[in-house]
Amino acid sequence: MVDEAPVLELRGITKRFPGVVANDSVDFDLRRGEVHALLGENGAGKSTLMNVLYGLYHPDEGEVLVKGKPIRLHSPKDAINHGIGMVHQHFMLIPVMTVAENIVLATEPTHAGVLLDYGAANRRVAELSKSFNFAIDPGARVESITVGQQQRVEILKALYRAADILILDEPTAVLTPQEARELFEILKTLTNEGMSVIFITHKLNEVLEVADRITVLRRGKRIDTVDRQGATEQGLARMMVGRDVLLRVDKAAPEVAESLLSVDDLHVVDDRGLEAVRGVSFNVRSGEIVGLAGVDGNGQSELIDAITGLRRVSSGLVTIGERDVTGDNPSSILDRGLGHIPEDRQLRGLVLEFSLAENLALHDFDKPPDSRWGWLFPRQLIRRARDLLKQYDVRGGGPQTRAAALSGGNQQKVVLAREIGREPSVLIAAQPTRGLDVGAIEFVHRRLIEARDNGKAVLLVSLELDEILSLSDRVLVVYEGQIVAEHGPDVSEEQLGIEMTGGGREVAA
Amino acid sequence: MSVRAEQLQRAAWTKASAPKTIGICGIALGILTLSLALPPFGVRTVPTPVAVGILGAAAGIWAISRREARIGWIAVVLSLVGVAGALLAMRATSSNLEGVFVWSALIAATLRYATPLTFAAIGGMFSERSGVVNIGLEGMMLTGAYFGAYGADKTGSWVGGLFIGVLSGALLALVHAIFTITLRADQIVIGTAVNFLALGITGYLYNEHYGNNGTPNNLPAVPDVNLRFLAHIPPHGFGNFLYNSIGQLNLMVWLSLLLLPISYVVMFKTPVGLRIRSVGEHPKAADTLGISVYRTRYAAVTLSGALAALGGVFLSIGFVNSFTENMTAGRGFIALAALIFGGWRPFGAFSAALLFGFSSALAQRLPDLSASESAAWPVLFQTLPYVLTLIAVAGVIGRSIPPAAIGRPYVKQ
Amino acid sequence: MSDLTGETPEAPEPTPEGAIPSVAARLALYQRAGGVITPILTALIAFLIGGLVVYATTGKNPVSTYKAIFKGSGLSWLSPVSVHWHTFYPNGIDWTGWDTNNLTALNLQQTLIIVTPLILTGLAVAFAFRCGLFNIGGNGQYTVGAITAVQFGIWFSGLPGPLHVIIAMIAATLAGAAWGGIAGLLKATTGAHEVITTIMLNWIALWVGSYLVGFNGPLQDPRQISAPVTRPIAQSAHLHVFWGNPLLQGLHVGFFIALAALVVYWILLNRTTLGYEVRAVGFNAEAARYGGISVKRNYFLAMAISGAFAGLAGSIDLLGWQFNLDLTTVQSVQIGFIGIAVALLGRNSAVGILFSALMFGALLNGTSSRNLDPSIFRPELAGNLTRIIQGLVVLFVGADLLILYLWQARKKVRLSQRKGAEQA
Repeated sequence: MVDEAPVLELRGITKRFPGVVANDSVDFDLRRGEVHALLGENGAGKSTLMNVLYGLYHPDEGEVLVKGKPIRLHSPKDAINHGIGMVHQHFMLIPVMTVAENIVLATEPTHAGVLLDYGAANRRVAELSKSFNFAIDPGARVESITVGQQQRVEILKALYRAADILILDEPTAVLTPQEARELFEILKTLTNEGMSVIFITHKLNEVLEVADRITVLRRGKRIDTVDRQGATEQGLARMMVGRDVLLRVDKAAPEVAESLLSVDDLHVVDDRGLEAVRGVSFNVRSGEIVGLAGVDGNGQSELIDAITGLRRVSSGLVTIGERDVTGDNPSSILDRGLGHIPEDRQLRGLVLEFSLAENLALHDFDKPPDSRWGWLFPRQLIRRARDLLKQYDVRGGGPQTRAAALSGGNQQKVVLAREIGREPSVLIAAQPTRGLDVGAIEFVHRRLIEARDNGKAVLLVSLELDEILSLSDRVLVVYEGQIVAEHGPDVSEEQLGIEMTGGGREVAA
Repeated sequence: MSVRAEQLQRAAWTKASAPKTIGICGIALGILTLSLALPPFGVRTVPTPVAVGILGAAAGIWAISRREARIGWIAVVLSLVGVAGALLAMRATSSNLEGVFVWSALIAATLRYATPLTFAAIGGMFSERSGVVNIGLEGMMLTGAYFGAYGADKTGSWVGGLFIGVLSGALLALVHAIFTITLRADQIVIGTAVNFLALGITGYLYNEHYGNNGTPNNLPAVPDVNLRFLAHIPPHGFGNFLYNSIGQLNLMVWLSLLLLPISYVVMFKTPVGLRIRSVGEHPKAADTLGISVYRTRYAAVTLSGALAALGGVFLSIGFVNSFTENMTAGRGFIALAALIFGGWRPFGAFSAALLFGFSSALAQRLPDLSASESAAWPVLFQTLPYVLTLIAVAGVIGRSIPPAAIGRPYVKQ
Repeated sequence: MSDLTGETPEAPEPTPEGAIPSVAARLALYQRAGGVITPILTALIAFLIGGLVVYATTGKNPVSTYKAIFKGSGLSWLSPVSVHWHTFYPNGIDWTGWDTNNLTALNLQQTLIIVTPLILTGLAVAFAFRCGLFNIGGNGQYTVGAITAVQFGIWFSGLPGPLHVIIAMIAATLAGAAWGGIAGLLKATTGAHEVITTIMLNWIALWVGSYLVGFNGPLQDPRQISAPVTRPIAQSAHLHVFWGNPLLQGLHVGFFIALAALVVYWILLNRTTLGYEVRAVGFNAEAARYGGISVKRNYFLAMAISGAFAGLAGSIDLLGWQFNLDLTTVQSVQIGFIGIAVALLGRNSAVGILFSALMFGALLNGTSSRNLDPSIFRPELAGNLTRIIQGLVVLFVGADLLILYLWQARKKVRLSQRKGAEQA
């Protein structure tokens, strides 16, 4: 049942950052017992708005009203005191501490005000989690429980502080479709108890499944608030992006030729000494994109690191073209014709303090024509950079601009220019569009397909099933370090979701 | 049960088995090596300790290669120290050895040398657990040492000295806190600056106030605790041993031992400790729950300065009863190594401090046993604590896990 | 508000929280942010506070104290350059027409003698910084270099001068490189933090050095049993003195070697693949690793090269004016630590290091017991004042927030100015 009086209202919120207006007089209201979705692209201002509401940012203009009364939020503490709880996209949990410690932190039960009363803490958390049917062990360390459970710990944190307004920031980004469905069930229970939920997302299908009302943000402005009844995916997408969007990527049928990358019974150990890749075999042929689908942390990173020589291989073979490159060092593998678009462009893809010219030379600086006998030719770096930047349409700077000065999309274009520009035979792309806006995503996708059409073997690793499905010619599913299934491009999202979580194991021929 | 969980369990199982045992055997062999040449045994041939030592080191290396790094390294270090010590001891005359290795005296000296390290390491624990690297421990110790002596001199009582010394260390730590927490400067660079400042300020004031004469001879000192009753514990030899090893220790040695359980309880059994650790592990998480990251870090860093200064106060008015320029001689850094070696835990850090303290005690006392008065080589023993620290740091860092947010300034939105 | 391009300008992507700017990155930022103004400001503030310390503790006028220090540094010799210009031309081996009573010139020679190793230890710190490492081990590397230079200066006494000097210098440089390389190797193989290992190596070098030159040590001069000092090096190993009286510690050619080292440093970093790798690792080791660069190899090389600079510094001091090594000298080496302040104030740049070495050299020489008039300020105090100023410099250079803030404010002002212009 939905009560009509808003429990929360935002009026004319404006928040500016140097050079950007993140929120431009945004209005928003939340009714008791409803799920109100906040929909928008990356950078539309959703998270800024919620950080304002949670007291993390202070708005330049506008006011926040809780149950009709204007309030001032100076810190998260104020928000908590007004019954607002937030589940951040990146969990605010301390991995080395227990579930109970994480939940009671800052409001700990004590013996005589001095010693922490662990017994009481565990008991209260156990009771609370039982009353909402969360099967969570209060004594377990957070790092040892699943991501879905961690999310529930975050929700418990809010409930423990008697929140009646819950903000969920991109809650399904880290979940499998099945876990997401469980989350939606939980949300239903919560709203039935009278809680109100703000659900931040950029996924259209979820919005239509879970929300009672939907507010769309674009470039910091509120576009509209609509009821779920009558809303369509196409309509919401148009509001979100401001134009019609292609939900599918156009591409020709693949012209597959010889195998360029093959991995044979590969075993790799992770940093903790546990086997993260357990006997993986597959190949990628010239002219195809192979998508590797899986929930984060199922051995994808270790697999890529092993192929690219960044991590030691315990056993098995990696072959590029005809050549066995197992155990070679990264630079010689790169020279064998491998291109690698790493997962995090700022941490791994680029040296932000370097100029674009220097960044583009990151693989080839040590050979002619960039250098000879250890002597570097900066002018040559600049000359080549000028061409590549033009080819890849990098805007916002020239060869001597620092990489840090570019926007995320342009930074990723620089990485693409370097990795694809040196004409590798095999291209590995890990999360190549993470955090990019629609325009940049389209650009990256087009380039990947172009690479495929030019006869390269492309291995795409992504946590976004949409991306996997729209680009791949074949899909491999990885679960706990093993390839558990292989599909053609027409497999359904549900099927992948089941296999990604270890359900219905069937290895396709 | 998932495969990952099974693996974890299997890993935990193998962890507790063979390599650990072998590693511990290695430690035992290492200790045996040194003791072989010393009074009770008094073996006087070269091959025996060398053979035993090599065996111990080999056991240690085996354990390291089987992922029992800490125990393995301890075994290797002890074995090598044992071999070196045994060989050197052989060059000395037997009678001298008896003098040096009156074990009770060695225990007392070890505790004395470990005390400043313990204070500073515990101090460092508070700072680093809250996420602030404290390379400035050395400087805070040195200020504590100077102002401890100066305060004792001016107030005429060691209590005054203690108070002023601790205050000075806390103030210097406050400077460290302002620059690293509020101004978000690089923590290691600022720590280095703090050390320079301490060196300059204490040297300057020392010269200004005491000049070439040095601190007065009648500096009020922190008293020793005389536990005469220990000597009467039967049997007689044992009682004497007890009395000579722990019966005449300085009050501050006991204070440092008392600090261990207190700091353990504060850090791991109270809300305060939980909050300090949360700030050091995931400051943003703590912040979103209303814990002030800045205030917590300020408090922790200031406390670390006060504790490090206590170590310095002990050095000047508890141990040698004078102040000399740069008298801490790298002890702050050794304390830091002890902290890391001990896995950022009080008793772990204390164990490491004992190891370093033992090597200092040995270094101080072994030169006395040199066979001829004019030999130069005993000077080399002075390198022992530093070499040991070097080996320990090389063996353990990267394996013991620091607080996750250490070294990172926190930016509040 | 109209936008001329029709496109909203994209804001640069904020750096992720996980990425902590390395010291190298921070210093690179300063250079863009404040140019030459901020280091000068930093030094001024440090001197100001140092002056307050002087006033508060001794009641002396800090201005006259600094004046005395400046006089002692001999830097005033430079200002009326035209007056002394003729004296630059040597007539034969000795200076003629040179007034040896000109104290200012003598003082300047002394200052430049100190500047020489300061440049090199500054480089030792700066080069490691560029690789993301903090080399606090300049003292140890310097000591090892000096000891090696003594030994090689005593050996090979039959060799012709230049060759002997070169051999001794190369040996000392290699020794320094080895000593620094140990820390680099430990960092690369075990991850041991270089700050702790280099500090420990400093103390080890100090005590091993004390053993070698101390009473009955292997290097102690057998003819002087009562003094802990080595034999003097052969005359052929002395560096040529080109300005001033060799008997009164004139300025030796080591000064030019230090200047050359500055050039080498710049070329190495900016014009070689090694420098490219070092800088990449220093700015972002993870990205360098993904780019195929061996981070470990660079850690080792950077520390070894840093150590080489410091070792060279040790040999130049020894061959240039010390000629033998005594226990006190071994135990009171400070030059490696001052190198940290030199590098930070000079922002790791070759030119910056030259000027900050000049400043610290002047300060050190101006406060030495020979040059400072004790009636104005006691030299022992002044020496420690130098340390305080050095600490303050490091403290303020380390605190970049102010500079960052000013830089951002300037940008904001510019932006709003541009917007205002557009609107108008």
